[in-house]
Amino acid sequence: MRSYLSAFRLRRKMELQYRGAMLGGIICQVMFGLILIALYRALYAGKPQALPLDHVVTYVWLQQAFFRMLLASDPDLLDKIRTGGIAYDLCRPLNLYGFYYARIMAQKITGSLMRAVPMLLFASLLPKGWGLSLPASVPALLLSLLALGLGLLCVSALENITMAFTMRTLDPRGVQAMLNLLMMTLSGNILPLTLFPDSWQKVITLLPYAQLLDAPIRLYTGDVPVGEAWRILLIQAVWIVVLTALGVWLWNRHQKRIVLQGG
Amino acid sequence: MSYIQVDQLQKTFTVRKKREKGRMLREKETVFALRDLSFDIEKGELVGYIGPNGAGKSTTVKILSGILTPDSGNVSVDGRIPWEERREHVRNIGVVFGQRMQLWWDVPILDSYGLLKEIYRIPESDYRQRLKELTAALQLEDLLRTPLRQLSLGQRMRAELCGSLLHRPGLLFLDEPTIGLDAVSKLSLRDFLRWENREYGTTILLTTHDMEDIAALCSRVMVLGHGQKLYDGDLPALLQKYDTSRTVTVRFENPETSPLLPDGAVMTREGDEVKVTYAPQQIPTPEMLETLQRAGTIREMTIQPQNIDVLIAKMYREMDL
Repeated sequence: MRSYLSAFRLRRKMELQYRGAMLGGIICQVMFGLILIALYRALYAGKPQALPLDHVVTYVWLQQAFFRMLLASDPDLLDKIRTGGIAYDLCRPLNLYGFYYARIMAQKITGSLMRAVPMLLFASLLPKGWGLSLPASVPALLLSLLALGLGLLCVSALENITMAFTMRTLDPRGVQAMLNLLMMTLSGNILPLTLFPDSWQKVITLLPYAQLLDAPIRLYTGDVPVGEAWRILLIQAVWIVVLTALGVWLWNRHQKRIVLQGG
Repeated sequence: MSYIQVDQLQKTFTVRKKREKGRMLREKETVFALRDLSFDIEKGELVGYIGPNGAGKSTTVKILSGILTPDSGNVSVDGRIPWEERREHVRNIGVVFGQRMQLWWDVPILDSYGLLKEIYRIPESDYRQRLKELTAALQLEDLLRTPLRQLSLGQRMRAELCGSLLHRPGLLFLDEPTIGLDAVSKLSLRDFLRWENREYGTTILLTTHDMEDIAALCSRVMVLGHGQKLYDGDLPALLQKYDTSRTVTVRFENPETSPLLPDGAVMTREGDEVKVTYAPQQIPTPEMLETLQRAGTIREMTIQPQNIDVLIAKMYREMDL
């Protein structure tokens, strides 16, 4: 366990070196946030929706702040598989799935926290109707943090499945492009899932992508009341088990027939 | 039972080639990386492993280190089958792939070592002592806090080697460890490997194209070609077989001197130097020297054996590689 923790810490340290990228990311995400909010304000001015505008605005800010959790493949890991550098990791007395899981998680946590904290501070200073609202209640905040943690486990497991596929296809871009499209749409990053038709929402919220950010945000805004939180947490837990099992299985399978590129 | 036993090892790769013009399908080709390879290595041996590019040297190392699974054949390292008991097996081996990196690119090398310490569960005191010993031997003391990306190629190789030895592996695979090293680093690396082998009885399998490495380090050498073992024995015996020509360069007091040479020797003149090439099996060296001395007063003379690379090239040609 300590070796996995150690890999986590080292990856975190590495991520902390990219402060320039962080600044660029924040500016980009703030712009996206403002544009999306302007868009929803225009929509609401034309035809008010059932969902309060404040909820939508908060939804957008939280999505943008934790954007890094969704779309961030570890380029080092993909390169290792592509060029054969994975050879070194294979001669360590470690479980590779766990080792990479730790790295992926470190990158996602560090990368998104570095961006989220300043962005959320900024968003909470904006005037009402433009800025981040407070959580529905203290229990709601705590539950949404828990759900965020579970969402992180989900997304790391998803990413590790992409890695396992890369072991076969060698170039990650095809699988990634496809999965990213699914991820952006079904996680609520492009359009808040709360604005989808109710019948669609019933299905979409069951999918793994909704567990990453949509689930914790709904708890935060009070969209899902504290009393019904167990349902969300249960769905998340089921997905964590399923996705992790699938990833471990794929890794073990591909590891046996691995071919190292580049001599 | 030997420490490493390899028995009739076989490994093939499928290579897909670009489609030829006018053909519908790509060609697939099965390449034999290893064909019925067998050898034994005893504990504490320092074995050189040579062969032309694509001979299967690296494939052997990858199978022995548990990364690749062979198609057929048996391997036992210290009583274990590498690819089946990977995690137990790799705990006791160290690997250096000369053209890959194990240390992290963006962080100081000391941090990468810290991770290796955790991975191999090296006790703190042992780690400190070993790190001190290795950094001194590999001249890394001043580089520990530098990120890997800022090291030169040679410095990086030394840092990589240190990383592979921190956990005191009993078996070390070196796949072209002297790539890109300058003369000083090469010599110190060789000294270090010899010391490591003597001090701890580390078994070392060294793959390289640098014949000087082999000559300096290995008592035993294996030659691999087309996935098959072609020679297994000591290096001098191997070289003697192909060492078929010498060159003597002489400068006489009188530049006009023209020695009368025995049959089979070839003489060329370059300025006031005379170069004589001959086969020592045909004309013994003392006899040749005597002939030259009789011809006139010698001001300066050097005898050169054939370059070791030329010998190896000749050997590869003869073995049809």
